[in-house]
Amino acid sequence: MASKFGLAGGIPERRVRPIWDAVDSRQYKAALKLCTALLAKHPTSPYVLALKGLILERMGKPDEALSVCLNAKELLCSDNIFHFDDLTLSTLQIVFQRLERLDLATSCYEYACTKYPNNLELMMGLFNCYVREYSYVKQQQTAIKMYKTVGEERFLLWAVCSIQLQVRFSSGGEKLLPLAEALLKKHITSHSLHEPEALALYISILEQQSKYDAALEVLSGDLGSLMGREEEKLRLQGRLLAQACNYAAASEIYQKILESCPDDWESFLHYLGCLLEHGLNLPKSRASEHTSLLSVDSPLALKTSLSKELVESRLANALSFVQKLQGNDTSECVRGPHLANIEIERQRRLSGNSTDRNFFEALVNYFHRFGHLSCAPSDVEIYLHMLSNDEITELLDTISRSFDTSSLSVKGLGLTITSFKVQELLGIFFSKSTTELQSIAKGMVETFYKSLPLSRDLDPQESMHGEELLCMASSILVQLFWRTRNLGYLIEAILVLEFGLTVRKYVWQYKVILVHLYSYLGALPLAYRWYVTLEVKNILLESASHHILPQMLSSPLLQQTADLVKDYLKFMDDHLKESADLTCLAYRHRTYSKVIEFVQFKERLQHSMQYLSMRSDSIILSLKQKAESLEEVESIIENVNHGSRLVELSNRDNMEQFTFNEDLQARPWWTPTTNVNFLSEPFDEGSSPACFRAKVFEHKSIEKDDPKIKDAERKSLLPRIVYLSMHGCASSFRETEPNGSGLGTDAAEMKPLLEKYARSIGYSIDDALSVILGMSSGKKSVKDFAPDIVSWMSFAVFINAWNLWSNESVIPKADQSSPSSWQIVDSLVKICIEQLIDANRTLTSPGNSIPVLVQMITEPISWHLLVIQSCVRSMAPQGKKKKKGGPSERPNIPRLQATQRSVQCMIETLRSVQSWLSDQTRPEEQALDILMSYLQGGSDDGPGQIPCILEENSARHNPELGERFAQSLETWSSAGVIRRIVGAEKELLVELKKICDSKLKLLGSVSASLSSALH
Amino acid sequence: MTTIRRFCCDDLLRFSSVNLDHLTETFNMSFYMTYMARWPDYFHAAVSPGDRVMGYIMGKVEGQGESWHGHVTAVSVASEFRRQKLAKKLMNLLEEISDKMDKAYFVDLFVRASNMPAIRMYEKLGYVVYRRVLRYYSGEEDGLDMRKALSQDVEKKSIIPLKRPITPDELEYD
Repeated sequence: MASKFGLAGGIPERRVRPIWDAVDSRQYKAALKLCTALLAKHPTSPYVLALKGLILERMGKPDEALSVCLNAKELLCSDNIFHFDDLTLSTLQIVFQRLERLDLATSCYEYACTKYPNNLELMMGLFNCYVREYSYVKQQQTAIKMYKTVGEERFLLWAVCSIQLQVRFSSGGEKLLPLAEALLKKHITSHSLHEPEALALYISILEQQSKYDAALEVLSGDLGSLMGREEEKLRLQGRLLAQACNYAAASEIYQKILESCPDDWESFLHYLGCLLEHGLNLPKSRASEHTSLLSVDSPLALKTSLSKELVESRLANALSFVQKLQGNDTSECVRGPHLANIEIERQRRLSGNSTDRNFFEALVNYFHRFGHLSCAPSDVEIYLHMLSNDEITELLDTISRSFDTSSLSVKGLGLTITSFKVQELLGIFFSKSTTELQSIAKGMVETFYKSLPLSRDLDPQESMHGEELLCMASSILVQLFWRTRNLGYLIEAILVLEFGLTVRKYVWQYKVILVHLYSYLGALPLAYRWYVTLEVKNILLESASHHILPQMLSSPLLQQTADLVKDYLKFMDDHLKESADLTCLAYRHRTYSKVIEFVQFKERLQHSMQYLSMRSDSIILSLKQKAESLEEVESIIENVNHGSRLVELSNRDNMEQFTFNEDLQARPWWTPTTNVNFLSEPFDEGSSPACFRAKVFEHKSIEKDDPKIKDAERKSLLPRIVYLSMHGCASSFRETEPNGSGLGTDAAEMKPLLEKYARSIGYSIDDALSVILGMSSGKKSVKDFAPDIVSWMSFAVFINAWNLWSNESVIPKADQSSPSSWQIVDSLVKICIEQLIDANRTLTSPGNSIPVLVQMITEPISWHLLVIQSCVRSMAPQGKKKKKGGPSERPNIPRLQATQRSVQCMIETLRSVQSWLSDQTRPEEQALDILMSYLQGGSDDGPGQIPCILEENSARHNPELGERFAQSLETWSSAGVIRRIVGAEKELLVELKKICDSKLKLLGSVSASLSSALH
Repeated sequence: MTTIRRFCCDDLLRFSSVNLDHLTETFNMSFYMTYMARWPDYFHAAVSPGDRVMGYIMGKVEGQGESWHGHVTAVSVASEFRRQKLAKKLMNLLEEISDKMDKAYFVDLFVRASNMPAIRMYEKLGYVVYRRVLRYYSGEEDGLDMRKALSQDVEKKSIIPLKRPITPDELEYD
């Protein structure tokens, strides 16, 4: 290659170096200057041009960069080029990739590879291009060509990997598996294999074709020694044997694994599965290895064909094996064999072979040994649910008798917590009386305080003993609120956690719960502040944003929300762009398993429902922020292809593939997913603990649900519908405008979109029309449609817009007195808003109406005002036309009048919102008194006792606490926390008021221009 | 009961209970994926019976000659699963891989000089402070370079502490 002779892309290296140095130090202007000078000397050097393109791209001039690089490409592909090297190509590739023109980079390499057919470096470049484009077939062909050229093992495996990708991502790909096998076999015969990853790939090719025996043979032959760790080899062997239905041999292998890794729970379950020969616990093939792991959830029918006696004897063997493992453990940390004991007894209980006592005793033993560990209750959670009420009582009794309550010890504290957690997991707290619950919560808070000395010598960074107590106390207080609707309990739930954070400010579990409590209470700014301290970034944006985003999206905190959405999208977009480069890296380092995994992961993120939703949200948010300026709204919509791309994204095929990547584990029980909140439903006193538990866990596992998908679909339609509404109205408002083609196509497009929109609320378009007619005329109750009310209002707005220019009559007219589409919007808006503010709920009422009100004002009303603005602008005299002396423009008077009436209606409605907001904004001291009054029940019953405990504890001088805790407690003040709640609520009101102000200002000026046009 | 297996991409979406902890950094994607692609045997997750991520370790192997060594980049355990020697188990695994598979001479790691709990834990695991790196963490806090010799280093030369602290630009590896 040219660079071997001190040349870079045909240019002396010493001339190029300073340019790269400048680029690397981000001195782009200097780099460009140097590059231009060099270009003067070498005007036709593709390399120098590529460099210039690179610099221009970095300077944020994509169009110029593209044109320079296209020039370079053209020169490269002309016949009289001398210096054709990978450096030039890879530089061009970088620029094209950043310009999102992978196709151009690929075609450069394709050309180069035809010109220099046996050049390995160029072929590798081409291969990487195909990896970036996810063209698996071409990847395979290129790899095969490289393999044929140099015969290296890695290129063969690149080809096999490409085949694997086809198997996974294109239909009919399985047909290629025999080819992959044959290629590998042939290579192994002559050259053997040298990499563990190569062996793993070979085995998985065999496994996918169900050739388990062949795979086992490979593994036990010479090649088997490639597997680095013995356990991994054994695990693979066990899995293959089990799949080959050789259960006896498989269970022996699993025994071996357990002997060296007695804590390997997965292997234990496989072991048991092989012994009992039932499907659920058998190892799954590699493809599903990490996606659906085994569970031992109850109740499962024993899917075994073995006789009862055989099951019993095998379980007895397993038991003695497991007991032997227990005996081997000297560290007292290995929980596996003890849990295995419980599982075996459970199987015996299920198969009716055992006296129930064994199972219970195994559980009791487990708690004896590990009960002080934080994870003990969740370890055995599924087993706890199999206990009878008597057994539960006995178990709790045993736990509480197992330590000395009079003295303070870490172990005793651990057991206390475990006992509470067991009750929490079993839903027992739901069946306790409110008085009992109050004293339990109080007891938890007291125990927390009393146990602080245990942590006095810990580093402040370290988690303290007993932190869980406050989470549990707060959870019980929330339950008390749910049952009594006494706001005091909710405030107590907050105080307890704030107290915990005063003691140690790093407890993320407290912060997460506070985020939800504050959101629910209507103190969103505080929720946001705690959320920010969690420092959610990078991939956590995908898994943990759900804690705050839904609430933010329906809040008046538009800028903060927009920032959150922007960060999220930047992360996702950037990752999806760089993901293929990392796949290239995995190829280069011969980590074939990760090649496939990376591509799968990219698919998973690309189809994230949250991702699609946020793309719509980001646009909708900017529209909300700029809704008072028609020009800005138009430019926002123009920048996103007038919303068409989003509409395409929401098609059925895409939605079928949606993934839900939220990690819901840390959400509080009362709001297990983003759109479920038990607190908004009444508490059912008659329900059993098991029912509550089932209810909580029903949602916990998966975020995937229909309303969310419908919601995402609706959002993706919105920008396009808003655009069409504005555009159509603007054109239709001028009588002089011919009823021309443009309008016709808009109208033709609007109808299916509105049909889709209506469908996403669950109605056909005709039924939806009668719903809004019914609501606006008062014949149908708005309340019946409450969950989707904002969407209904928007729908009415869009129907009106469509009606303005559609040739067909959109609204079915019964008679002359039927309302016009304007009137429908006006009265619907009026009714909905009045209902909301008339309910006259005071603030600091949980689940208050602010979010809905905010959405009504920032969405349907904003869209309606955009329609009005478009109408008004279109009637303004248009200079050029007038001069031409065309037909004089007469405004459509009836329409203008209808518009003016609508403007008046919006003004009145927003003014009523304003005055409601003013009523709600009480002086701080007064608001504080109201909230404090919830905590001053005075009696022994009801909320108010916990703040007293907190206050007393923090004021008391307790020398055992140590300086650190004593100091942090000095700053504690319940009133301070409540004052912040009041402040946060006020902040929200002020923001909403600002939004109303700016809309009223706009309406004022619109009204003035309409008046002048009319008179 | 803990199943320790290779860390995979899907774990990234389920490790929030480990990473929300303020001492655990959430790196960018290319960081994690580069480790997975280059040193898959040095990146392991520990999962619980309910398939929850209890903790993980990520590391690499690098260097030349007698400085060929394993490096622990991050090890973290969710608070629910602490105090049961899980970090030790993960560390031992990485040490074993460095020692047996890659025949490395030692394992090293960096820790904030103020992070006493972690330093104490590493000391218990046999690590010694090899040297202090001045202002290693965002140009502010010092880092401690701790090492543990492996069986290749028969004379334990790799862990003889340096007399003077060094600056980050004197480090051999990133």
